[in-house]
Order: sequence, then structure tokens, then C-alpha cells
Amino acid sequence: MTAPLAGIRVLDLTMVWAGPMGTRLLGDYGAEVIKIEGPKQWDLLRGLGRMPRTEERWYNKSAYFNHNNRNKYSTILDLQTKRGRELLLELVSISDVLVENYRADVMQKLELGYEEIKAINPKIIYLSMPGHGKTGPESGYVTYGTNVEQLAGLVSISGYENGEPTKTGFSYGDPMSGTATPAAIALGLRQLRLTGTGVFIDMAQRENLTCLVGEYLVDYSMNKTLRNPIGNRNSQFAPHNCYPSAGKNRWVTIACENDEQFSNLCRAMEQPDLAKDPRFKTAEARKENEDLLDDFIRTWSLTHGHYETMYILQREGVLAGAVLTIPEIMSDPQMRSRNVWTEHSHPDAGTWEMETPPWLMSRTPGSVRLPAPGYAEHNEYVFSDLLGLTALEIETLYKEGITTLSPDVKSHI
Amino acid sequence: MQPLSGIKVLELGNFVSAPYCGKLFAGYGAEVIKVEPLDGDISRTHGPFKNNKPDPETSALFMYLNTNKRSVTLDLQTVAGRDSLSELVKTSDVLIENYRPNDAKILGIDYETLKAINPKLVLISITAYGQNGPYADFYSNNLIAFAMSGQMFITGTEEGGPLKNGGYQADYQGGLNAFSAGMLALLATERDEIGQHVDISVQHCMGPILEAGVPFYAYMGLWSPERRGNLMSSIMGVYPCIDGQIGIHVMARNWPPFARAIGHEEWVLDERYSTAEARMANNDELMAEIIQWSTNTTKKEAHRAGGENRAPITYIHDMADLMESPQLKERGFLREIEHPIAGKATYPGPPWWMGPDTWTDNPAPLLGENTKEILSRLTQ
Repeated sequence: MTAPLAGIRVLDLTMVWAGPMGTRLLGDYGAEVIKIEGPKQWDLLRGLGRMPRTEERWYNKSAYFNHNNRNKYSTILDLQTKRGRELLLELVSISDVLVENYRADVMQKLELGYEEIKAINPKIIYLSMPGHGKTGPESGYVTYGTNVEQLAGLVSISGYENGEPTKTGFSYGDPMSGTATPAAIALGLRQLRLTGTGVFIDMAQRENLTCLVGEYLVDYSMNKTLRNPIGNRNSQFAPHNCYPSAGKNRWVTIACENDEQFSNLCRAMEQPDLAKDPRFKTAEARKENEDLLDDFIRTWSLTHGHYETMYILQREGVLAGAVLTIPEIMSDPQMRSRNVWTEHSHPDAGTWEMETPPWLMSRTPGSVRLPAPGYAEHNEYVFSDLLGLTALEIETLYKEGITTLSPDVKSHI
Repeated sequence: MQPLSGIKVLELGNFVSAPYCGKLFAGYGAEVIKVEPLDGDISRTHGPFKNNKPDPETSALFMYLNTNKRSVTLDLQTVAGRDSLSELVKTSDVLIENYRPNDAKILGIDYETLKAINPKLVLISITAYGQNGPYADFYSNNLIAFAMSGQMFITGTEEGGPLKNGGYQADYQGGLNAFSAGMLALLATERDEIGQHVDISVQHCMGPILEAGVPFYAYMGLWSPERRGNLMSSIMGVYPCIDGQIGIHVMARNWPPFARAIGHEEWVLDERYSTAEARMANNDELMAEIIQWSTNTTKKEAHRAGGENRAPITYIHDMADLMESPQLKERGFLREIEHPIAGKATYPGPPWWMGPDTWTDNPAPLLGENTKEILSRLTQ
């Protein structure tokens, strides 16, 4: 039952979403994650919680921050000071992994680049995840989540049929880098096992995401044709679309990948003759007369609820799924039966539900052990227990502003 | 040395999710044997094809997703086919599959069966809904997964209705999640000498990652049913320009660099826009002014101005832009691979760089290309 990353200590120098989500996954599966923020350079997500700044310790009550930083400790160090940097290097000497997602030149400027860190601990796995990567003419460019999918080629192929390229409804690049983080770290740990030396990993977020549209690059390089967005349709099958359901802003998706499924759909719609109609009989005919076919389905789908349609069609062996809203994904029977949501408590923020670790591992499951740390909550653990500083030395850190117990609220307005 | 040297993987993967997971194992150095049905992985029948001419060996989708693998065809409906699979399982570290749980059982690749053959095996199962629960055996594909995860409802416009994004993103999300989880399981096996079952539900992976959507709803009951298309707000979204589209994503601290980059340095002090609150209050006015700028600039000018001023501005790169990208070229991300039938094409390199010689670039196998060689090795 020992977690896969038990005994691995991670220094987390990441902020906002991609990096924190990645290191949270490391924490979910057993690593000890120490998040390091600065007195001024604290995680922006603490301020994006829609929490009035009149609230006491509002910066510990951002749900956006708290979902992405559970299973971590928090300590505060000003890395721009000599002493702050020195203490970070002491932490490096007793850690296995360092993850950072600053702009490409920031760690070098702090003299905390891979070479400096490796000199202290040659076994460290050092993961950088800047938008464009650590090298190349654009490496110093500033990039956030929505830019990543634009750079990756994804937006150019997304959108309604015959419409303009359209962005994903959220900053899709971030969670894909976060999701990739445990894989990158695990590969690094295995490489360390094989060779005895650590590894520098450069995850350019735009490259990681380009890998998720790779077939389009291969296609373009062979055929020199750019593919236009095709909405919710499929280049081969019909029907394959999103249809309105009864009720306001309610929708359902339906797809048929062969003739049998299509004939089952027609039966479910109580129009079995449609399956024999020459306009729809074969996959090719359906694709050719797709607009007309979609009209037939729309007329039917409007008379049923979205979940209702899903159940009716699934019983007939037809691919169908309700288009779920955020409240609905939280109440969905499947998500509930798989315990996707779990209640947990946080000393400042209270009790609410958050997502459980995403992957069910039968022998070494993930867990929610700790709520997200309050700002500076584990200063004492880090300075005293891990680094062995005396009370006087710790007092000096506070006095000199190298650490603090509450953030400079003038940052990130 | 490659990070996965010495690891043996069997992939019984169809279409995108399990093949992408297998591709990553193979790229970083594992020996991956793809077990295909006699008529091949269904992605072989999906375009786009070389010269748009259907051929099971020249599908861009198949060729991309199956680099560095070897192909064995087995008929798992026959005793001989199952015996061969069982022999392969004995010497493998990992098996990746993406069948519906019920179909996996019928094929004899459920965890109970495989564990009895090789207790050290890591079985990675990727399904729409996971191995149990009321929807476990529901029929799904990329589109349905988008709908059932909440990602679709928030993408697109009010008028256009919910929209999935391009390609097969739900399937790829399944594959990427499976690779991370599978790698953790592999580390645990090398430590403990015991395998396990890794159960990936695409719905579970996709649902919680809607930016702050779930946190705000779960904690404060706040959510909005709005779909805002390309413009989430004046300072986050996709704007038209002379020769394409520009994307901007301006956080509070980026405001001065952004104003400078688009030639409006005076906005830094302009009280209509100088704070985040003011920008929100004057959103429409600001949007109109940004459109005024964007429609008078080219995509590359905007990208360069963003870069030089450290402002988060870029442009919508299409595949031609990727092929010509100075950044991707200099980093060596674009790899040319020669396929024996389809010929040369450009492929993305490793999703993350781990040093020279850690990633390989061999073409996808022809259907059953390695059947004889691998099966004869079994009988020796």
C-alpha cells in the first residue's frame, strides 16, 4: 500500500495552474511537496479566489488555489536575497525533485539554474515547464494557458464547421502540462535508478500540447493541405453531433459509427424507416445528407431531456452522452459512484468537496492527506525540522524579511 | 541511455487513447509490441491519408500514434491467439488496453486473468467511465467524452451551442493521464515486485480541470452557464488581425507591458484601464480599442511585439506556421521520419526534452510486420 512516490521530496517553485496542478498530482501519489513562495512573489491564485480582501486571511480561502495545492507544505523564502537562496540550496541537498514554471530566464537570474542546482545535488530531477521551453529565439516570451493552445496548432483546427478558429472554453494547455508532470518526473526517477545521475527536463508547454494534435502535422507535411474546423462532426461518420434537448440550454451528443447503430437510433426515434431511406442507408449517404439527417434528429431530441436521451440510446447500443454543466458533473451518478468528489476540511476555508486523485491504482492508491497549506503554514517544519536552524536564526529570517507569516498584499492587485 | 530501457510493454490499443500512451512508452525507450486484430487498429481506416487515398498503411493518425512500436496480429477469438498473448504477457512489464470493461473480459484481458499469468504486470485500462459504476459499459467516443466531462458545455458560443475542440482531445487526455499513472505504477512495481491495475476513467480525468469552474462551484456555489466563444473578456481571448488571429492573455501584472506592446503606453496611467477593476468596468470600450489595434497588425508583428515587450500576445499557429516556426526548428522539435510506404513526413518530437538520445524516431509498423519474428521467439 506504500504510495508510488513515498519518500520522494519535491521542491515546488511553481505558481498559478500548470505547475501547481502537476506538483499536486505528485503529492496525491505520495511525494512530500514543499511549495516555496516569496513575501512578495506569492502564488497569484491565492488572489483569484473571488474572496473579498476584507476577509481574514483571504489568501488562504481561494478555492482555485486550494484545489491545486492540497497535499503540500508551504514555506516562504525570498529567493532574491543571498540568505534566501542559500537556504533553498540547503533544501536542494535533501530533496529529490525540483519543479519550476517561471518564465525561461528567471531561475538563471536567481542563479538557481540546473547547473547551480546540480552542483549541490547531482541526483536531483529538475523539471522546468516554461511556455516555449528553455532554449530558442522565443524562450523569453511570456505565455499563459490560452496562448499555449494557440501556439500548439490546436485552435487552428477547432471551431464550428466553416467557422473561425475558436479557443477552448478554458486554459487547456495548463492542465495538460500538469497531467504530464508525474510522467516526466517518474521517467527522471527511473533514469536516475539506471544511471545514478539526475536529469534536467525541459517541458515546453506548447510542444507538449502540439503532441496532442500530431496527426495534423504529419498530414500537413505529407499533403500540404490545411484542415478547417469541422465543429462537432466527424470526417467519416454521421450522425455525429450535439443536439438540443428539452429545456433551456440543454444538449445531448449522439454518434453512430456503423449501420447497425444507425438503425438502432432510428428505432429509438420511432422512425425505423429512416434506416432504409436511400438518403441515409449507408455511411456515405448519411455523410452526404448530414444536414438533413441532423434536422430529423433535432426534431426528436427536442422532445426529450438530455439525460433521458442518453439512457434511451445507450439501451439501444447507440453512442450518446448528455452535455453536462458544472453542477451536473458534480452530481452525475457515475462520478458519484466512483467517488470523484470527496469532502475535506481546511482550517481557514472550512469544509467542502473537491476532486479525488484522478487515477485509481489498485495497490497503491492516491489520497487526499492534507488540505492546501495556508500561506507560510509550514515555515517552522522547514526551518527547524528540515534545516535544523536555531530559534535565533529563524527569528533573524523574519526580522530581515527573508521569510514572513503573511504575504505583502500590495502584490498582485 | 533512454529512461525506459529494458521495459517491455504490450499494447492492445485501438484508435487514440491507448496508442498515445503506448507511443510515449515507446518513444522514451520501452520495447512496445502492439497486438492488432487481423484487420488492424481501426485508426488505420481513418484519414487523413497520404494523398487523401485510403490505405491502411498511410493514415496520418495511425502513423503518428504508433511510432517506435512493433506490430503483431493475433486473433484473440482463437485458442492459438490467446495462448500467444498469454506467452507475451508472461514476459511483459506493462499491458495497455482501452476496451469497454465487458469486452475486455470477453477477450480475456481483464485484470484477474492477467494477474494469474503474471503477478508483476501493470495493467493500464483506459475507458470512458472507469471499470465500474452505472455507465461502465456505456458506448462512448471522443465527442461523447467531451459532453460527459463538462469540457464541451463551456466551449463555443451562446448561439452556436456546446463545441468540442479540434482533433481527438478527449482521447489524447485519456492517453496522457494513462502514461503518467502507468509510470507511477511501474516505479512501484520495480520497488515492490508486485503489479497492479491502473483504472483510468476519462470522465474523472477531464471533469475537474475546467479552470476555476469546479472550485468556485464546489466551494461557493458560483458558476455561469455562459459560453463566451473567442473573447472571455477584453484582455483574454482571440482577436482578428490582418492575416489571421491573435491571442492575448493579460494578467494584472502584464498590463503595462501589454499597453506598450500594442502602442498604447498612455493606457498604463489611463484611469479607464489602469487597474483590473477598471478594465472590467470598461470592458466593452477596451475591447473595441483592442480590435482597432488588432485589425491593423499582422500576426507575426503582434507576436514579435509581444515577445519584445514581455506581453502575453501570440497568434493562432496553423500547421504551416508550426512547420516554419523558428522556435520549434531551433529546438529540434520537428522530426523527419521516413515511412516505407508513405515516405517522409514531419512528426512532433518528444513532449518533453530529457537530453540527447532519450527519444527515438522510428516509423510506425506495417500491419503484422513483426508477427513471425515475435511469435517464433515465443516458441523457442
